Amino acid sequence: MAQMTAVRAESAPGLWRRFWSRSNERAGYLFILPSLIHILAFLFIPLVLSFFLSFRDWTRPTFSDAPYIGLENYEFLMGDRRFWQSMGNSAYYTALSVPLGMAFSLAIALVMNQKLRGVYLFRTLFFMPVVSSWVAVSIIWLTLLDPNVGIVNYVLGWFGIQPINWLGDPRSAMPAIVLISIWKSAGFNMVIWLAGLQAIPQELYEAAAIDGANRLQSFRFLTLPLLAPTSFFMAVTGVIGSFQVFTPVYVLTRGGPLDSTNTAVFHIYRRAFQEFDFGYASAQSWVLFGVIFIATLIQLFYVRRRREEIQF
Amino acid sequence: MSSRIRLFSLLTILLLLVVIGSVSAQDVTLNVVGFVVPLEEQGTPLDEAYKAFIAGFQESHPGVTVNALETPPEFDTQLLVDLAAGTAPDVWNQDASTLARLVDAGYVLDMNECVALVPEFNLDRFFPSTLAIHQREAGGPIYGVPNDFTPMVIYYNTLAFERAGVEPPQAGWTWEDFVEIAKQVTLDGNGNNAASPDFDPENVTQWGFRVRKWTFEWLYRVWQAGSDVISPDGTTASGYLDSPESIAAITFLRDLVTVEHVAPPPTTLDQMIQQLGFLDRFLMGDFAMFDRGHWEMVGLRANANFEEGRFSVVGQPQGAARATVMYASGFVIRADIPEDRKLAACQFVEAATNRAYQDTKVLTGIAISANQAAAADAIAQSADPAIEQAFYDEVEFGRAPYGAIYAQWPTIEGRLDTMMEAILAGGDVEAEVALAVEEINRELSR
Repeated sequence: MAQMTAVRAESAPGLWRRFWSRSNERAGYLFILPSLIHILAFLFIPLVLSFFLSFRDWTRPTFSDAPYIGLENYEFLMGDRRFWQSMGNSAYYTALSVPLGMAFSLAIALVMNQKLRGVYLFRTLFFMPVVSSWVAVSIIWLTLLDPNVGIVNYVLGWFGIQPINWLGDPRSAMPAIVLISIWKSAGFNMVIWLAGLQAIPQELYEAAAIDGANRLQSFRFLTLPLLAPTSFFMAVTGVIGSFQVFTPVYVLTRGGPLDSTNTAVFHIYRRAFQEFDFGYASAQSWVLFGVIFIATLIQLFYVRRRREEIQF
Repeated sequence: MSSRIRLFSLLTILLLLVVIGSVSAQDVTLNVVGFVVPLEEQGTPLDEAYKAFIAGFQESHPGVTVNALETPPEFDTQLLVDLAAGTAPDVWNQDASTLARLVDAGYVLDMNECVALVPEFNLDRFFPSTLAIHQREAGGPIYGVPNDFTPMVIYYNTLAFERAGVEPPQAGWTWEDFVEIAKQVTLDGNGNNAASPDFDPENVTQWGFRVRKWTFEWLYRVWQAGSDVISPDGTTASGYLDSPESIAAITFLRDLVTVEHVAPPPTTLDQMIQQLGFLDRFLMGDFAMFDRGHWEMVGLRANANFEEGRFSVVGQPQGAARATVMYASGFVIRADIPEDRKLAACQFVEAATNRAYQDTKVLTGIAISANQAAAADAIAQSADPAIEQAFYDEVEFGRAPYGAIYAQWPTIEGRLDTMMEAILAGGDVEAEVALAVEEINRELSR
C-alpha cells in the first residue's frame, strides 16, 4: 500500500517532466496559453458566475449584498411579457436571417466556384464585410438606409417604389437588420459553402451528365444532398449566432421602433447595464441559453432522421 | 566626541522622521470626478473655471492634492464597478436621475457629517427645492448636495410666432391657452393655421410643438393634471397611472399629434431630424415650441442658425396644478471614504458649492447654479436676463426627478417610454396604460 502511494506521488511530477521535455508540445501550450487565460477570465468565470447570480437579487455590485432568492428570478421571468416578446423578436430574426443568409451565400458560392477571370478578387471582395467592424458597417448602413437621402430608397425610386423609413417603421426595421446581417455574413458563409462544394468529386457530375442530367438536375439531385453536412453546420451555427444578435440592434435601432427590434440579448443588456438588475439579467441569459440549446438539439434530431432516410 | 556626534545625528534623524511623518499625515489626495472637460472642450470657459477652482482650492488647502478625473463614458456603470472594487472616486458629480440606486445601496455619505466637520458649510445657500432632491425626508440624511439644476420649460421661436402673427405665450398660461396657441402657430403650405377649417394636416410647413415618447419630457404633464404615475411610496401604479387625470394628460399629449395636428407623428419627426438636426429646424422656425431644460441654451447659441432674440422660454402651462421637473446634479462623497480624507472631501464640496466658484461656472450657461445667490446674480449677468428669469421663476414649481427617489425608476421609465411610443403611434390610450400598469406593478412587486 505504502509502495503504491509512493508510485502515485512520483507519477505526477514524472508526467510533468515528460511533458515539459517535449519541446514541441511545450511551445504549443505556451502559444495557446494567452488564449486560455483569456477564455478562462472573460468567458468561463463570468459564465459560472452568471449561473450563481441568476439565483440572487443582485442589483448592486458586491456579491455579499446579493441575497439568495432561489428560483424567484426564473418565476418572474415566466410572466415577463417583454422578455418573451424579445425572444419572439430573436426567433423572427433567426427565421428570416438563417435560411435567407444560407441561400444568398450559396448562390454567391456557386458563382465563385466557377473558373472565372478575377474570381479570387471577387471572393476577397465578398469576404471584406466579414472582417469589418459591426459598428462601422452598421453606421454605413444607417446612411444607406436613410429615408431621405439613402441610396437604397434612391435606387428603389427608379422602380417607382415610395421611400421607406427602413429603421423607423416597426414593419421594416427588423427586415432591414436582417438584410444587413445577411450582407455582413455572406462572405464567411460563402467560404464554408465553397469548401463543401469543392469536396464533391467531379466524377459524380460527369456521371450525371452522361446519364443526361442538366445543370439544374445536377444541382437538385447531386449538389444539394451532398452539401447536407455543410448545410447542417451552417444552420446550427447560424441559429446560435442569430439568437445572440446585438451590435446592429444597439447601433441602428436601440430596440425600437415600438420594441420591434428588441432582441433577447439587447433586452438582457438593457436589464443588466441600464437598469442594473444583474441577477434577473443572468436568469434571462440562462433561459436564452436553454432555448438555443433546445433549438440545437431539435436540429440534431432532425438531421439524424434525415441521415437515416437518405443514408449519406 | 564621536559618541556626541552619533547622538546628535540620531536625534536629528528622529526629528526629521517626526516632521516628515506629521507632514505626510496631513497630505491627502482626493480623487474627484467631474472637474475635467473632454479634450474637445479644452480652453472653453468651463475648462478655465474648473482649472481655476482646482488650483485655488489646493492653494487654500495646503496638503490636499486634487486628482481631477474626466467623467468616463457610461459613468453609471463604471461607478458601480468602482464602488464594488473599492476604487471609486472620493467625490463625484452625480446626476440626480440615478441617485436613488446609490442611496439605497448605502454608497453615499450623509452630508450632515460634512456640515458638522466644516463650520462654514451652510446649507441655506441652496434652493430648498434642489436640496430636497437629496433628502428623503425633512431633517433626515442628506445624500449629496446640489450643484446645478434646470427646470423643464418651453422654448419658443419668436420668428415662428411672428410668421403666424401670434403673441408669444406668457407665464401663467393654461393648457387651453397652450393648445390654442399651438394651433395658431402650426401652419400648412397655404398659410392656414391648425385652427382654420381649411388647414391641411398633410402639408404642414411649421409645427406648433414637439411631442416625443421620452418620459423625462412628459412626466410633469401628468403632475400638471393633478396626478402621478406611481404611488408616493413607490409600490404601485394602480390608481395613479391609470387614474382619470393621468389618462387625460396622456390623451392630451396624444391628441396634439393625432387630433390637433400641431405636433408631427413620430415617424415624420424622425425623418425630419434625419434630414436636418432638430435645433437647426427649431431656429429656422420649422417648430414653434418644444420642452427642454437650460442645457439646450448652449446648443442653440452655438448653432449656425442662431440670431439674438430668435428664441425665448416660458414656464410650463398650468393644468389642475402648476408643476415641472427639476433635473439636477449634485456632489456626493462615497460613504466609505477613509477618515483621513473625509475632512478634505467635505471642504472640497463646500468650496465647490460656495458663491465664489459657482459664480464662475454659471456663466457657461449649461445649468443654473443651485447656490441661490450665484443663480440670482447670473440673471443680471446673462446675455438674456428675461430667459434666465423665466427659468428662475419656474423653480418654485419644480419637483424632484423620480430617479432620485425610486431606485427602480430606470425600469419604470423604460416601460413608460414604450407605452407612450405605442400611444403616439396610434395605440389605444386606456389599453396601453392598462398594460403598462400591469407590467410596472409586476416590477414594483419584486
